[in-house]
Amino acid sequence: MTDERFEANVSTTCGYCGVGCRLEAHVSGGRIASISPALDGPANVGHTCLKGRFAHQFSRSRERLTAPLIREGGGFRLATWEEAVGRIVSELQRVKTEHGPDAIAGLASSRATNEDCYAMSRFMRATIGTNNIDNCSRVCHSPTSFALRRSLGLSGATGSFSDIDAADAAIVIGANPTEGHPVVGARIKQATLRGLRLVTIDPRRIELADYGVLHLSPRPGTNAAVMLGLCHVVARDGLTDRGFIDARTEGFETLEELLVAYSPAAVEEITGVPAADIEAAAHIYGEAANASIMWGLGVTEHKYGSEVAQLICNLALMTGKLCRAGSALLPLRGQNNVQGSSDMGALPDTYTAYRPVGDEEVARSFEAAWGVPLSREKGLTIPQMFDAAVDGRLKAMWIFGEDVAQTDPNTTHVIHALESLEFLVCQDIFETETTKFADVILPASAFLEKSGTFINAERRFQLVAPALDPPGSAKTDFEIITSISRAMGHDMGWASPAETMDEIAALTPEYAGVSHERIGRSGLQWPVAPDGTDSPILYEREFRLPGGRARFAALPYKVPGDSVDGEFPLILITGRRLQHYNAGTMTRRTANLELLDRDWLEIHPDDAARLWIETGDRISVRSRVGRIETEARVTDRIEPGHVFTAFHFPEVRTNLLIGASADVNTACPEYKVVAVDVRPVSEAAAHTPALAARA
Amino acid sequence: MRVTVDGVAVEVEPDTTILTAIRAAGANVPTLCFDARQDPFGACRVCLVGVAGVRGPLPACTTPCRDGMEIDTADETSRRVATAIVELVLSELPVAPAPHTELAQVARSLGVGTPRWPGATHATDHDERHPYLAFQHELCISCGRCVRACDEVQGAFALTATGRGFGANIAAGLDGGFRDSTCVSCGACADSCPTDAITEITLLRI
Repeated sequence: MTDERFEANVSTTCGYCGVGCRLEAHVSGGRIASISPALDGPANVGHTCLKGRFAHQFSRSRERLTAPLIREGGGFRLATWEEAVGRIVSELQRVKTEHGPDAIAGLASSRATNEDCYAMSRFMRATIGTNNIDNCSRVCHSPTSFALRRSLGLSGATGSFSDIDAADAAIVIGANPTEGHPVVGARIKQATLRGLRLVTIDPRRIELADYGVLHLSPRPGTNAAVMLGLCHVVARDGLTDRGFIDARTEGFETLEELLVAYSPAAVEEITGVPAADIEAAAHIYGEAANASIMWGLGVTEHKYGSEVAQLICNLALMTGKLCRAGSALLPLRGQNNVQGSSDMGALPDTYTAYRPVGDEEVARSFEAAWGVPLSREKGLTIPQMFDAAVDGRLKAMWIFGEDVAQTDPNTTHVIHALESLEFLVCQDIFETETTKFADVILPASAFLEKSGTFINAERRFQLVAPALDPPGSAKTDFEIITSISRAMGHDMGWASPAETMDEIAALTPEYAGVSHERIGRSGLQWPVAPDGTDSPILYEREFRLPGGRARFAALPYKVPGDSVDGEFPLILITGRRLQHYNAGTMTRRTANLELLDRDWLEIHPDDAARLWIETGDRISVRSRVGRIETEARVTDRIEPGHVFTAFHFPEVRTNLLIGASADVNTACPEYKVVAVDVRPVSEAAAHTPALAARA
Repeated sequence: MRVTVDGVAVEVEPDTTILTAIRAAGANVPTLCFDARQDPFGACRVCLVGVAGVRGPLPACTTPCRDGMEIDTADETSRRVATAIVELVLSELPVAPAPHTELAQVARSLGVGTPRWPGATHATDHDERHPYLAFQHELCISCGRCVRACDEVQGAFALTATGRGFGANIAAGLDGGFRDSTCVSCGACADSCPTDAITEITLLRI
């Protein structure tokens, strides 16, 4: 449909969350005039949320970086691209010569395209000669990736969001989709109104709990016990699918032995969830003809997050609720391309499609394509990079599209690491908490200004097309990375991101049939065969593990990394708000700030009364590693003993409170269980007690 | 089963509506209250068509096909009634709808110009208290699309139909504006509105 109001209409893919809404960007006067949802978008079917539709003004914010900046004295000065690139090349070459390639590390951005992330990992591996490349999935869904690969074989959802419509029952655990993934949240809500029997599992009573048939509020850090309890009841009451277990899995007997100990009564003891609710939830899931499980960071960001994700796989495997429409495992990926950045091999231990860097055959195929020898040694993960920087082993970093100083845990340690580096390059669209420590800042482009592809939480490659030019002399990330690589003597040889994708497809059997042309408007869900056939449902014939069988994981419940004591009597959980996105770099520069201009701490009325705190009061929140101040909001959506806040506002610096505890397998930080002390603070005179007695 | 649309045969599944059959046959009939993302509503009567053996026009969006049905999108009575309806709808508006709106497009396709009937028009009533979404209440034609978008697509249940007859309109919450309602600012209402009675504030400025 043509519309006389707009100069151009560009179909692209949303750059906010991992749902992957297809959008129509309408351009007028060199700005985005409006964004509407694409009616044929596979994930969003004509709908989108306030972030995708409205939060685009950041793209023309006055605060956008429009020219390279170089540190000089106490501040930064404007520089030409030539000077900035020259500085980066000479510094990286100096560090490489003096300390070796492993003294340099890079972070790819999960908000950038597959092509950008692939280029960044090729830069670190081929141009520099190190596997020190990671991306922010480290701090969100790396445990999911680990678990799915362990239990089933491939690092991705087993189905699609359309499974929500086809399911009779569903479990949402450790996710708050109506705020974090609003379009999926709306889809789940609509499905419940049509009869989907939804069980929500979260320490907070999330909005979807009001639409479900049952809500469980386990104590933070006890998800494993909940999942083991559900599996116990399923096994005890004969809700298992013996045919599926015998034909397609291994290791069930060991799990069965473990499950004996997790009776609903025992689980109630650990989790605080009434035994009857564990029984009911297991029957709702087990008795449904088709049921799906969705989870988010409330599962992963724990000391044993990767184990809980494997326990979730157990439940689906023992009931045979996999490999068909309506029965899927759907991890709700956080950022727009957090699936893709990992799929593309922006990880310290794997090339594209999770093939180990130590795999001789794979490494040789990349050496042949890139014409350079490649390291077989695993590189550093993000937390290891910061440790190495503090130790002096890591001298230079190139951080692309990530604000580690605001979003990573243990902020004090991160800052120490950034200050310890000899040379830091930041490539971003705005100055951030992290760029304050940079030596060179490169002005990059937002998703509305670039071409390439994202992969959403359904494993779907989708096209990204530019609706705007980058502002000022900012460049696309693709152009920046390839030109710096060329200046360092390694020409990647691509004329466009489409050619990058051709190289990725040629070097990766799982993406063999992917090309920008084939992706078209409907996308392609990997694996994609050479003839372009894609895979909406995984494992229809066999699991992608030796022998073709899925593996049960017999993993017991273990206590979380932090717990309350006399000094820190409350457990802090962190999460998201509907109006803002992650560090808020984008959404805080839109009118979304008018809709929500501050953060707050949610606290139960009983705790609030005990601490003499009322809604609106200024409060101090102190953990074992840091202290912040924020505002209190009293609500019974949270259980007594727990408090909740988000991390969208740098002035709150929530992540100062998060310690170094992390997932045992993937180093994903334990953002969701932090013992804290909460008390009122006041800049004015202290509390004046009222004369009336409190009832 | 098989139906014919303007003489063209088309195979359809049971429970297919006449509107879906028309589109499957490559033909078209104007619609106003229809949005493919929502359940058919049948409020506006602009999609009327003739069916052989049926006395009066039938709404295409809500009527299921029967095997052997002969559908006539050019049925004279249907077009005459639809045209009159659109002209009556336009006669209540204080200004002609903007050319890009669905209402303006439907009016063009039916050849409806300036309505012949002078009379009362809605008083201008704008609400721009939300950072993104604006009400232009005088353009509301009570098609119900915004309310259904809010209920059936988003599930926020923030919008309500209010008033009767000439006074019929829409309200967010208890008519305190979007921000004082359960609105989650998804914009599905503005996306569906065929008249810009709900639209984006930025679009009012270009």
